[in-house]
Amino acid sequence: MWTLLREIHTNRELIWALALKELRVRYKRSALGFIWALLNPLMMMVILTIVFSTITRIAVDYYPVFLISALLPWTFFSQALSYSVESIVINAELLKKIRVAKSIFPLAALIANVINFLLSLAPLLLILAVLRFPFHWTWIYLPVPLLSLFLFTAGCAFFFAAANVFFRDVSHILQIVLTAWFYLSPVLYSPDFLSPKYKLLFRFNPMMYILNGFRMAIYYGQLPTKENITASLLVGIVTFLAGYSVFRRLERSFVFYV
Amino acid sequence: MALRIHFENVVQRYRVIRERPDSLREAFTKIFRGNSGTHDFEALRGISFDVEDGEVLGLIGRNGSGKSTALKLIAGVFEPTSGKAEVSGKVAPMIELGAGFHIDLTGRENIVINGLMLGLTRKEVMAREQSIIEFAGLGEFIDSPVKQYSSGMFMRLAFSIATETDPDILLIDEILAVGDAEFQEKCDARIQDFRHRGKTIVFVSHSPILVRRICDRAILLDHGKILADGRPEQVIEMYENLIHQPA
Repeated sequence: MWTLLREIHTNRELIWALALKELRVRYKRSALGFIWALLNPLMMMVILTIVFSTITRIAVDYYPVFLISALLPWTFFSQALSYSVESIVINAELLKKIRVAKSIFPLAALIANVINFLLSLAPLLLILAVLRFPFHWTWIYLPVPLLSLFLFTAGCAFFFAAANVFFRDVSHILQIVLTAWFYLSPVLYSPDFLSPKYKLLFRFNPMMYILNGFRMAIYYGQLPTKENITASLLVGIVTFLAGYSVFRRLERSFVFYV
Repeated sequence: MALRIHFENVVQRYRVIRERPDSLREAFTKIFRGNSGTHDFEALRGISFDVEDGEVLGLIGRNGSGKSTALKLIAGVFEPTSGKAEVSGKVAPMIELGAGFHIDLTGRENIVINGLMLGLTRKEVMAREQSIIEFAGLGEFIDSPVKQYSSGMFMRLAFSIATETDPDILLIDEILAVGDAEFQEKCDARIQDFRHRGKTIVFVSHSPILVRRICDRAILLDHGKILADGRPEQVIEMYENLIHQPA
């Protein structure tokens, strides 16, 4: 753990530069540039709102708010993973030639997506304003699900980035897993809509606790239960430690496999 | 004279996997065939040498003799399988053309990332930016994406960044051959300057002419062992005998 903090400290400028590079490359040569970071979640939300509140007629008041409160954290999670899973393999040429801390690559991918995520909060505020949806005082609780989300994502990112070095299938499998996981997570709907026997299954989905925190605070204006808060933090911390220790254990041999 | 590089009985073994299971499918079929398909290859078989401050060492040898492996060990890219490979001081590796350049970013943007990668702070990079650009002599191309660069321009920028970071040890892998005569002279001058300031340079090359011109010591590697270590003329002579020998 200390090694990681030390690496982050020594390489902070490099990590930041790599994260900005990642964003710059992502939006380079597109006419709208950084606006895409805002437009993308907005468009996704419009499409999903039309599909789910008009066509399938899910009866939820303020469905756009209901949706986006869980969609934004989910999008962060899935995009951050898609970027970081390749982060070691993409920098293969570098690893073979320069001595550099391996952890900076998944970290830079994460930070790029954190920035993107923060930008995408603008459309959320816009929607709240347009729909005249009230700001609940429970927003002050948001740092808790945010911390859980970032830790959980970082743990997964370390794990998948390392695994992908040894088996390149991992990045393909991950895309399928993310798609399935999206539909099995309470983003488009709430587990309350389902029959109790399915509800039990959601207990095994770590993302449920995290997404629930966001939705409770933003949409319902309530604090999650104590169990829920504990579960979401625990999920974040445990996943982070597990994913990171796998990465640490394997990083010495990356250079021979990339 | 400070000791910069100390190699003691260094062995580097690679697990050469004839068909490395890059994917799960291959890994599974391998399990069923029950054949691991790996064999060990010793790139370096117990080499020892010391390099001091201010030495310009040329590593020569045929393909597969272990030159690049030795260079990567000095760069700290990996650790030796056994033996000691100790390096003290800041190393600037220039192994192959512009490793670490991002082709979509401009030369200027790459200077920052590459400089940080080589261990400078942002402030230090900024202070050196102008002299890096001047030495590379890329003119207006410095603000174009590096994917539009010729290989010569690539090399000039890489060499310029690596030498401006003011390392204690400079590693050069065969890239000097790309520049034109004018830039070669600039490189030579800079290498001489490095030497006068007591810096260490390790230079890998197939070209006897370059080694003779630049180095004051040469090591001949063959099949992962040191065949000769001494003055460039003598070592090059042995090298030339070696390559003219029927294999």
